[in-house]
Amino acid sequence: MAKIMSLGEAVRTFMHDGICMAVGGFTGFVRDPVAFVWEAIRQGYKDIHYLGGHPGIPTFLLHAAKRITVMEHCWMGFGEMFGKLDVNSTRLYEEGKLIYEDYSHAQMAFRQLAGAIGAPFIATYAPLGSDIENPKYDALKKAGLRDGKNPRIAKEKFLVMDDPFYGKGKLILVPSSNPELAVIHAQTVGDMGTVRVRGVVSGDKELAFSADKLVVTCEEIVPEESLRMEPERNLIPFVKVDAIVEVPWGAHPSSCPYYYDYDSKFIAEQNVACRDEASMKKWMDEWVYGPKDWREYIGKLGAVKLLDLRAEQTTGYSTRIMRGRKPAPTLFKPVSWNR
Amino acid sequence: MRPIEKIQQIPDVAAKVGEFTLPEVLAISASREVRNDDIVFAGTGLPMIGILTAQCLHAPSSVLIYEAGIMDGKSMHIPGSVSDARACYMSSTLGGLLDTFGFYLQRGLVTLGFLGGASIDQYGGVNVTCIGDYYTPENRLTGSGGNADIGTQSKRVVFIMLQEKRRFVEKNEYTTTPGWYGYEWPSGKWTRKKEIYKNTRFENYGPAAVISNMGVYRFDDNGIMYLETYHPGVTTEKIKDNCSFKLNVSKVKGETPHPTYKQLFALREYVDPERLFLPDPPDYPPDVKKIINSFS
Repeated sequence: MAKIMSLGEAVRTFMHDGICMAVGGFTGFVRDPVAFVWEAIRQGYKDIHYLGGHPGIPTFLLHAAKRITVMEHCWMGFGEMFGKLDVNSTRLYEEGKLIYEDYSHAQMAFRQLAGAIGAPFIATYAPLGSDIENPKYDALKKAGLRDGKNPRIAKEKFLVMDDPFYGKGKLILVPSSNPELAVIHAQTVGDMGTVRVRGVVSGDKELAFSADKLVVTCEEIVPEESLRMEPERNLIPFVKVDAIVEVPWGAHPSSCPYYYDYDSKFIAEQNVACRDEASMKKWMDEWVYGPKDWREYIGKLGAVKLLDLRAEQTTGYSTRIMRGRKPAPTLFKPVSWNR
Repeated sequence: MRPIEKIQQIPDVAAKVGEFTLPEVLAISASREVRNDDIVFAGTGLPMIGILTAQCLHAPSSVLIYEAGIMDGKSMHIPGSVSDARACYMSSTLGGLLDTFGFYLQRGLVTLGFLGGASIDQYGGVNVTCIGDYYTPENRLTGSGGNADIGTQSKRVVFIMLQEKRRFVEKNEYTTTPGWYGYEWPSGKWTRKKEIYKNTRFENYGPAAVISNMGVYRFDDNGIMYLETYHPGVTTEKIKDNCSFKLNVSKVKGETPHPTYKQLFALREYVDPERLFLPDPPDYPPDVKKIINSFS
């Protein structure tokens, strides 16, 4: 059964230098487990092998603090419409301080699926013909890391083979991904560990099952019984969960649908800060190392900000927050619906 | 009055130069590529905006898939991400990456992929990974994300991108997403996509159009890009100057159709009224303004 822990305790228990890990969510926008990563940076963990998982803010913070040394991933971005490129990561890469292995997003998703179902590899068409499969661009092999000594690093980046069963062309075999630790953020978790996620899921279920250990941070820990009246709405059974941490607003500045929206101004400020190292350091001092704890970080945002970010219960997002140069229009029906 | 009734009252007449901006030309050109029966897989930004505009106009039944797991979202407000709750609203089903990349894309349901790119070759192959050497790049870009997957497994693929000489290239320094030509691995042979994807359902899937800030391009039977129309205020000479491969301009039909007032009204008032993406637009002409004022 999962253990209920504080944020600090969970980070101390599950993190270590050189860990192979990944976290859930999607880019800078949905249920990024920011608080956990924020605390891990403050506790000083480094030399991380980041393996899959598609969040924007946690990887942005880890790169800003220079904690990831090896990364297998598909995207060096973070905030899409509010800040596309994660300059922290590209700066490290261009300086040769980050070993980065390019896969495509489908490949990473399928690698996680293989890990989650206990298969050592999986076949996919995605994306034949690309330089992603160019043997010259196998960064881990070039760094001498595919020698079989690290059980988390596959001996090959991929293999190409003909379909032996139906003759349907060539396929790419990609290795499973199995990190030591996965962290996801959910709206609610039962006190035994059953996880309920609302809104889009991204790759969180595969990620959860692919990892040896799973920490779930959440907005609320609720009585387990309340989640078992409609079990079809639950995503991950308690048996796979090792620790539960209640951290309200724990995904900020990404969103937690039906609780709060994403903080686009904050993401845009991060995007400006990362353009040079001095301003990034200043931003990190203010927002990561400055606050006494996560509660103080959220308090620092201010009550008005939190009021504007609070999500509406039918849509899951907020129309009070100013995302662009003009306020959101009041609509109760999509324009393209039922015409 | 419902928004759709308002849109229908605005004249579908071409606007004049000065009455629209370049991002609006791109968004409207993008929307024209969408058919009413399309199942579209689109990236954040202009691609998404183009499709949302099409849904307000000629393609209300087109289905939009967003990468994070969303099937047929019906947005009231413009999403800032392909995982935004605004994109999830009233969707048919919500899932995750395996739904979109597996059940929909690799299963062959997607008829139109809509993407961006940093540079493009004459076969419609795109680089979003690096400028310069792979390991010591001048500029490291985001890398594939879903670009390579969507760009090779959608029936038709449309790219929207900035045009400069160094972005329209003979051959990409790194081919993230192969167009009608790509690499056969492990040999590394540069060959037709048909060969690489032989005996798969994706053999004949590939680039259908490119929309740049200068013109609209299509592909001939050999998978080579040609100019179809140039945007208002742009000449074929300027386009050739901003293209480093020998561009076929013999099939040019003329100027890219101007956006109509109706299209501009839908885009400005119902797709991006929050101005997340669009710059402040110029005023509508008096006769159109009069109709709009009569709504309130």
